[in-house]
Amino acid sequence: MNKLIVTNNSLVFEKYCNHCGVIYLKDVGYLDVLYAVRDRIHQSYVLLTHPLAGSLKPNQTPYKSIIITRGEAGVDTDSVVLIENSIAAAQKFLRDRNTPSWSEKILGDFRTVDLSLIENAMQKRSFN
Amino acid sequence: MKLELGKILIQDVQFGAKTEVVDRTLFVNKEEIIELVLEDDRLIGADVELARPGESVRIAPVKDVIEPRVKVTGGGVLFPGMINKVEQVGSGRTHALVGATVITCGRIVGFQEGLIDMSGPAAKYCPFSETNNVVLVIEPADNLETHDYETAGRLAGLKVAAYIGEAGKNIEPDEVVVYETKPLLEQALQYPDLPKIGYVHMLQSQGLLHDTYYYGVDAKQLVPTFMYPTEIMDGAIVSGNCVAPCDKVTTFHHLNNPIIEDLFARHGKDLNFMGVVLTNENVFLADKDRSSDMTAKLCEFFGFEGVIISEEGYGNPDTDLMMNCQKVSQKGIKVVLITDEFPGRDGKSQSLADTVDEADALVSCGNGNVIINFPPMEKVIGTLDFVETMIGGYEGSLKPDGSIEAELQIVIASTIANGYNKLAARGH
Repeated sequence: MNKLIVTNNSLVFEKYCNHCGVIYLKDVGYLDVLYAVRDRIHQSYVLLTHPLAGSLKPNQTPYKSIIITRGEAGVDTDSVVLIENSIAAAQKFLRDRNTPSWSEKILGDFRTVDLSLIENAMQKRSFN
Repeated sequence: MKLELGKILIQDVQFGAKTEVVDRTLFVNKEEIIELVLEDDRLIGADVELARPGESVRIAPVKDVIEPRVKVTGGGVLFPGMINKVEQVGSGRTHALVGATVITCGRIVGFQEGLIDMSGPAAKYCPFSETNNVVLVIEPADNLETHDYETAGRLAGLKVAAYIGEAGKNIEPDEVVVYETKPLLEQALQYPDLPKIGYVHMLQSQGLLHDTYYYGVDAKQLVPTFMYPTEIMDGAIVSGNCVAPCDKVTTFHHLNNPIIEDLFARHGKDLNFMGVVLTNENVFLADKDRSSDMTAKLCEFFGFEGVIISEEGYGNPDTDLMMNCQKVSQKGIKVVLITDEFPGRDGKSQSLADTVDEADALVSCGNGNVIINFPPMEKVIGTLDFVETMIGGYEGSLKPDGSIEAELQIVIASTIANGYNKLAARGH
């Protein structure tokens, strides 16, 4: 199974760019990563990780990394429902309050946690 | 498995030359605690402060809260696999210093964890405004990697709680409560006419600052399993989660799980509490498929007729909650969910990130998005530097006079999803 990571986190890109495909969306926001994943789901990609991984709310952390893989022809409805629900949840938080402009130190902390959230998934070698 | 829990009531905490309990006052030796903590050379600084109910004290940022306990008889020691060797716990006799806690405090990352006010309007949202707290403020070595600092901080709290718990070993408890769960078939036969009820306990398991440990095993690596309810009372489950203050399950909350407590209170009366199924909340979707399939399989195999399911967290865990709900329901077992909600400031948006048709019975632990205002406190243990970056805080949250305007989710355990709080929702 070929994993493809969609991310706006430079730490994730640096760690995995030589291991598998990484779509690195530089300088975009959390929601933009979700939209990019949704677009690919409509092009027959399937979600491998949950789009809302982590307790950091969508209006808190600017970083998001999601692993997808090419599926069969057609569209995987489970992935569609999950990404659309996740987008709705993210929009709800961002409607209440926008993501602040954090200091570089705090951005580094957010990148570290975001990387950690997909590390366990990336260690899985087989399709289960 | 049968456990006698001896509750030693603590009504005050003071520094003293010896760590001991005298007439319901816990005395702690500050220097011994600091020395114990600094045995770990990942930490270069430690301080101990005391915070009592009613004081004008704010503690921030909080990592974990632990109740001091000690094994008296029955094999094993507290927090097996974490700070002590791995050995089966949950039997015999354990003493707990009820009304005392150890709180770890200090920054790991710039944004996480929340605050505790010992008085004022925010105090009522947190159980630790009513306990006598030994607050451990820790400082990491320079350039310590985040994972290492989290580990060091977690273990420091457990070590200090176990050290203080020893003071209760030879004290006659104020109250002894006996909890017993028999092996499956015997338990079923003990109350044959009462409904067999199980508790599905979902453990946070996503990554750094989002982990839980069962006998020292990272919950990300677990497959669903059975636990006797009394094992949790000896620290078989320990928190490594410190990101979202309001629904973070502290180690204290694991030791004092209110669902287990309430099920035992009714055990033999109107229900037969059969035991606990542990499962996790992994990020990898195939893990969710596996865990929810196995959770439903175990519930069916154990003969549960009704199940309560609790989760920890929001978003990703909501999907596990719904998968568990759906698959257990499809086995013909009645399911009730208990969780907190994030429906936006006005309470009008969808509360959870996911839902299924079978989720038709849910007990709410409150709305984490509500804005509250609380005044400044005379003393701050830790630092307020991170208030605006805590979940629930935002730019402008911390006013110049020290007062705070923030979402309720900034207060530790305010909407905790196992119900150990005072918030609810009612339909009209």
